Amino acid sequence: MKQPGRLSLNTWLVPLGWLGLLLVLAATMPYLESLFRVIEPDMREVIYRRAGFFTLLAQHVMVVAIASLLAVILGVGAAIAVTRPAGRDFLPLVSQLASIGQTFPPVAVLALAVPALGFGTLPIIVALLLYGLLPIVRNTLAAIDDIDPGLRESALGMGMTAGQVLRQVELPLAAPVILAGIRTSVTINIATAALGATIGASNLGDPIIAGIVNSNTAYIVQGALLIGLLALTVDSAFERLASAPST
Amino acid sequence: MVKPLQGPNWVLLSLILLGVVAWLWLPVISLAPNRIVPGTPYTAFAVSEGGLFLALTSMLTMLMLGVAWLAWRATRKETWLALGTVVVLLALLPLWLAAAAAELAEPDLPQARITLGAAFWLLWFVLLLALIELRTRLGLSRPMGWLLLLPMMACWGLALWLWLEPLALLREYQARSEQFADALIIHLALVGAAVAASLILAIVGVLAMRRCSGLQRPGFAVLNFLQTIPSLALFGLLLAPLAWLGSQVAWLGALGVSGIGWAPAFLALLGYSLLPMVRNLHVALGAVDPAVIEAARGMGMSRRQVLLQARLPLALPVVVEGLRITTIQAIGLTAVAALIGAGGLGTFIFQGLGQAAMDMVLLGALPIIVLALVTDALFGTLSEWLRPGGEL
Amino acid sequence: MIELFGVSKHFANETAVDGISLQIKRGELCVLVGTSGCGKSTTLRMINRLIEHDAGEIHLDGQPVRSFNEVALRRRIGYVIQSTGLFPHWTVARNIGLVPRLLKWPKAQISERVEALMQLLGLPLAEFADKYPHQLSGGQAQRVGVARALAADPDILLMDEPFAALDPLTRQGLQREMIELHARLNKTIVFVTHDMDEALTLADRLVVMDQGRIVQQGTPVELLREPATPFVESLLGGLDRGLKEAALIQVKERMLPFGPRLLASERIAETAPLSQALSVMLWHQVERLTVVDAEDIPVGELSLRRLLGVTAA
Repeated sequence: MKQPGRLSLNTWLVPLGWLGLLLVLAATMPYLESLFRVIEPDMREVIYRRAGFFTLLAQHVMVVAIASLLAVILGVGAAIAVTRPAGRDFLPLVSQLASIGQTFPPVAVLALAVPALGFGTLPIIVALLLYGLLPIVRNTLAAIDDIDPGLRESALGMGMTAGQVLRQVELPLAAPVILAGIRTSVTINIATAALGATIGASNLGDPIIAGIVNSNTAYIVQGALLIGLLALTVDSAFERLASAPST
Repeated sequence: MVKPLQGPNWVLLSLILLGVVAWLWLPVISLAPNRIVPGTPYTAFAVSEGGLFLALTSMLTMLMLGVAWLAWRATRKETWLALGTVVVLLALLPLWLAAAAAELAEPDLPQARITLGAAFWLLWFVLLLALIELRTRLGLSRPMGWLLLLPMMACWGLALWLWLEPLALLREYQARSEQFADALIIHLALVGAAVAASLILAIVGVLAMRRCSGLQRPGFAVLNFLQTIPSLALFGLLLAPLAWLGSQVAWLGALGVSGIGWAPAFLALLGYSLLPMVRNLHVALGAVDPAVIEAARGMGMSRRQVLLQARLPLALPVVVEGLRITTIQAIGLTAVAALIGAGGLGTFIFQGLGQAAMDMVLLGALPIIVLALVTDALFGTLSEWLRPGGEL
Repeated sequence: MIELFGVSKHFANETAVDGISLQIKRGELCVLVGTSGCGKSTTLRMINRLIEHDAGEIHLDGQPVRSFNEVALRRRIGYVIQSTGLFPHWTVARNIGLVPRLLKWPKAQISERVEALMQLLGLPLAEFADKYPHQLSGGQAQRVGVARALAADPDILLMDEPFAALDPLTRQGLQREMIELHARLNKTIVFVTHDMDEALTLADRLVVMDQGRIVQQGTPVELLREPATPFVESLLGGLDRGLKEAALIQVKERMLPFGPRLLASERIAETAPLSQALSVMLWHQVERLTVVDAEDIPVGELSLRRLLGVTAA
C-alpha cells in the first residue's frame, strides 16, 4: 500500500532542508566575515576568496557526479554481465576482486592515480570511478545472488525471455541493495574528492587544504562546513530514496 | 563448490594475454639520471642487447605464452601446471628487474633511478589476479593462497637486498628510513589506539543500548551522522575547538592537545570507528538465534553459562568481522590525518604530492595498502577459524 | 499429447535421466513419483526446455519440442513449482496476469481473465487482487501460483512438487481442488511429487522413477496390486498398501444394495473410501455397516466379508 501525500513530502523535507542550508551558506559565506573573525582574530583575511564557494561546490558535485554515474553504469553492468550464463566464468574473480579492492584505502587509490595519470581533475575522476565501482559491484552481485532461484526458474518457466527476467524480476528485486551500494560509493566519493584538492583539483577541499597550509582555521571551517552539508544532503536524499516504495 | 575443469579457461586466457600485450608493447621500466629529470621509458626487449638478458626476457615471454596454452586446455592437470607457472613468473619478475637494473647501470651516473613502468604494474596485477583465479578454480584455501605468494616475496627480498639499489622506491626509502620507521610506528599506534578505544566504548555503548532500548535509535542516528561526514571535513571541524581547548586548558595543552597533531586525528578516528564496531557488536549479541538461547536455558544452563558457552562463541566471528572493518577503515583514515600533522605514512603521500615526487607517494601508499591487505587476511582467517565448523 | 522417446540427460559426471520413454495422453493427470534425485524434476523441466535433453526426442502433439521457440513453447505450458515463484514485488493480480501480458493480450481481456481465474480458485477479487505474495498464507500463495499457470489457458500444466511445503490439511484441501479442477478443465497435467499418498490420490496414471529410469507405470490400483519391484513395493508403503488401496475404493463398489431392511447400528456414506469403513468397524467393533447416500437415506449394507472382497464378484 502506498502512503501518498503528507508522509512522503515530509521525508523529502530532510534532504531539501540540508540542501537549502548548503546553498544559503555557500551564498552568504562571504558576508559572515565578522563571525569568522572570532575564530581567527589575527589573520589578515578570514574568508577564502581564491574561488567562489558556488564554483567550488559545483566542481565538487560535478566530479563526484561524473565518477559516480560512470561507476554505476560500469559497476551494475559488470555485475550483470558476470551473472549471465555467458559471463559466469568471470564471476569468482570479479567478486573476489571487488572484496579485495575494498580493503584498499581510498586515499591510497587516489595517490596511486597521480603517478599513473598526472595531476588535475581527470585522475581524481578515474580514482573515484575505480574505487566507487567496488561497493556497487559487490552489492549488485550480492543482490542478484540473493534472489530466490525459484523465482528465476518460474519466470523462465512462464516464458519470460532472459531480458524480461533481468528487467522485470532481477533488477527490481535487487534495486534496494544496489541503491545501498551506490549510496556507500557516493558517500566515499564525496569524501575522497575533497582530498583531490591535494592533487590539484579545485573543489570544496581547497579551502581546507589552504587553511591547513596557512594555518588559517577560518578557511578550514568554511570548507569543512560545506563538505559536511553536501554529504548530509546527498546521504539523506539516498535515505529517502531507500525508504520509497519500489512498486 | 568446485566446478569441473574442462574447456578453455577464458578468465585466465584473457588475463594472461593482457599481460603479454602489456609486456611486449608498454614501457616496463624507465630510467632517470637523477630525482628531478623525467626518465626514459623502455619496453621489455628494448632494455638491452645482451644475450643473457634477452634469453631471460624471452623465457618470461615463453612462460606467459605457456600459461595461455595451459589456459586453453584447462583440465585439472593443466590448471595445476598453470598455477605453478604463474608462481614461477611472479618470482621471476623481481629477478628480471634486477637483471634489467644491472644492464642499465652506468658507472658515471651513480644517482640513476629506475622506476617501474605501466607494463610492470599491469603484469604484476594480472599475474596476481591469475593466481586468485587459479586458487579459486582449484578450490585451495585462503592460507594456501598466501603460501603461494612466498616464493615471490622471497625473490623480492633477495632482489631488493642485493641488486635493486637503483630502484627509485628503494632510494627514496633509504634516504628516509628512520622517518619511515617513525611514520609506520605512529600510523600503527594511531590505528591501534583508535580501534582499542572504540572497542571499549562500543562494548559499554552496546551494553547500555541492550539495557535501555530507548538509546538505540538516537545512538545509531548520531553514529550514522558521524560516518557520513567526510574525513577531511571532520578533521577540519575538530581543529578549531581542539585548538581552543589546548590553549585554554593548561593540562590539555601540556598533553599535546591542539588543533593539529594526534588529538584531532585520534578523536576523528575514534568517531569513525565507533559505527562499524557498535553495529557489529550489536548484531553479534542480538542476532544469536533465540531458539539457541531458549534451548540453552531449557537444558538448565545458567545465565552465565548461556553467555559464555552459547552467546559468546556464536557472536565472536561477527565481532572479529567488526574489528576487521574498523581496522581497515582506520588504516586508510589515518593516512588522511597526516594532513593535520598527525604523522603516519600519509605524510609521505602528501609530501610526495606536494613535491611531485611520485616515488615518495608510493613509499606512503604501498605500505598502507599492504597494511590493509595483511589486516584483512589476518582478521579474515581469524573469523573463519572462530566460526563453528570453520577450518584454517 | 506429450511423448518421450528414449530421452536422456547427463550432468557433469552423473546421469540424471537415462533413456526414458513415456506417453502422456491429452487430458490425463500423470504423476511422476520417486525419491529425491531420481530424475523426475529433470524430466518435467525437459518438457518445457528449462533443461535441454541430450539424447532422444520429446514430442508435443507430434512435433519435437526443439522445433518450437523455447520462449513461445513455455508460454503455451503452465508451470507451477514448490516455492510458488510468485514475484514478491508484484500484486496477486499482476502475478496472475503475467503470461497474458507477455503474450500482449489487450488490457481489458487480461483483467477479465485474472478475475475469472481468481474466482475459479476461490480467491475473492476484492480481498486478494492488491495483496502482495508475502501477505498470503502458503495455501493461498499456491492457489495464486496455479491461477498464474492457468492464465493463458495452456493445454498442458507442469507441476513440480507444488504442495510439498504445505501443512497436511492445506495439502489435502488443495489436492481435492486439483482433482475437481482437472475434471472441469480437462488439461493435460504432469505432476511431480515424492509423496506416494499424494500420487495415489491424484493420479490417473502413476510413473515410478528410480535412478533416472522408469521402474513401473500404471493406474494406482494396478501398482498397488502388482508392484513390479521391491523398490516400488517399499515406496507404496509395504504392508500398509492394503489400506492405501482401500483408500482408493469407494464403499458403494463393495456394498450389497438392498431395499428397506434391518439397519445396522453404524452408518457410512456410499462415497466414503473402504479404509474409512474399516476404521469405523474397528472403532465400534461391528461387522456390518449401513451405507447411506448423500441425503442420508440407506441404500445398502457393507459387511466385513464384502469389504475384504471375499464375496465380491
